[in-house]
Amino acid sequence: MSYAEKLRKWEELEEEAREVRRRSADWAFIESLPPRLREALKYYIETGDIRRAARLAGMELEDFRELLRRANVPVVV
Amino acid sequence: MSRSFAIADTCFLIDWARYRGRDLLFKLYVVYVPESVLREVKSESTIAWIASRLASGDLALFTETESEVEEARSIVERSRRMPNMPGVDLPEAVCIAVGRRRGYVVLTENRGALKFVELAEDYAGVTIRRSLEILLQLQLRGHCGDPALRFREYEEDTKHLFPRKDLLNAVAVIRRELCGEAQEVGGA
Repeated sequence: MSYAEKLRKWEELEEEAREVRRRSADWAFIESLPPRLREALKYYIETGDIRRAARLAGMELEDFRELLRRANVPVVV
Repeated sequence: MSRSFAIADTCFLIDWARYRGRDLLFKLYVVYVPESVLREVKSESTIAWIASRLASGDLALFTETESEVEEARSIVERSRRMPNMPGVDLPEAVCIAVGRRRGYVVLTENRGALKFVELAEDYAGVTIRRSLEILLQLQLRGHCGDPALRFREYEEDTKHLFPRKDLLNAVAVIRRELCGEAQEVGGA
């Protein structure tokens, strides 16, 4: 597989994961949260980048992982 | 059967700590935990699991050398130059650097780490495993039963979802290898 084909494959995988995160999320719960947590969750749903999302939320990584579970946002890998 | 050495990143460990079959991991590997990863683990239940497995020798602490951390920083920088790259941060990068240098299997759920190893030619020799591949390996050591059971339990316990295509492929492999079903990989 060429470099360009690999890149395309990863783009498709990321788009698929993003769609799953958007579809699965408990949006009513997310919208009920304080702004910092709400925006961090939206950032995670769009990017899948858990470390930056945890920092945006001002939380430890493990606590943010738990918040993802409460918000029904899956890790898709 | 002798076990291989592996090295795990933070997200991998905190998800496995919640899985009902978490100790099955040690049927396959002795797992090193880098100090940079251990520092990110905070919850009592995860720490308790790690402490008990360190005591039993199934987990081992890995102290990174300056040279390994320097290589890891270079991985972080290179990953930032790759297009549409999810973040590879220092703890995952340490695992990749050690995987390359020492031949340890890298255990990660980090999409950035998976993508980096696939795209960076000088890291092509690094063996990297997600939970999906580990559960498949474990299942292939057992009997046919319900080929999707382990994957379903892992998803329920951790709220992690496997990409459907990858999951169907894994179940098809189990059906073919263990259940004797003549089924093409990729079929439902």
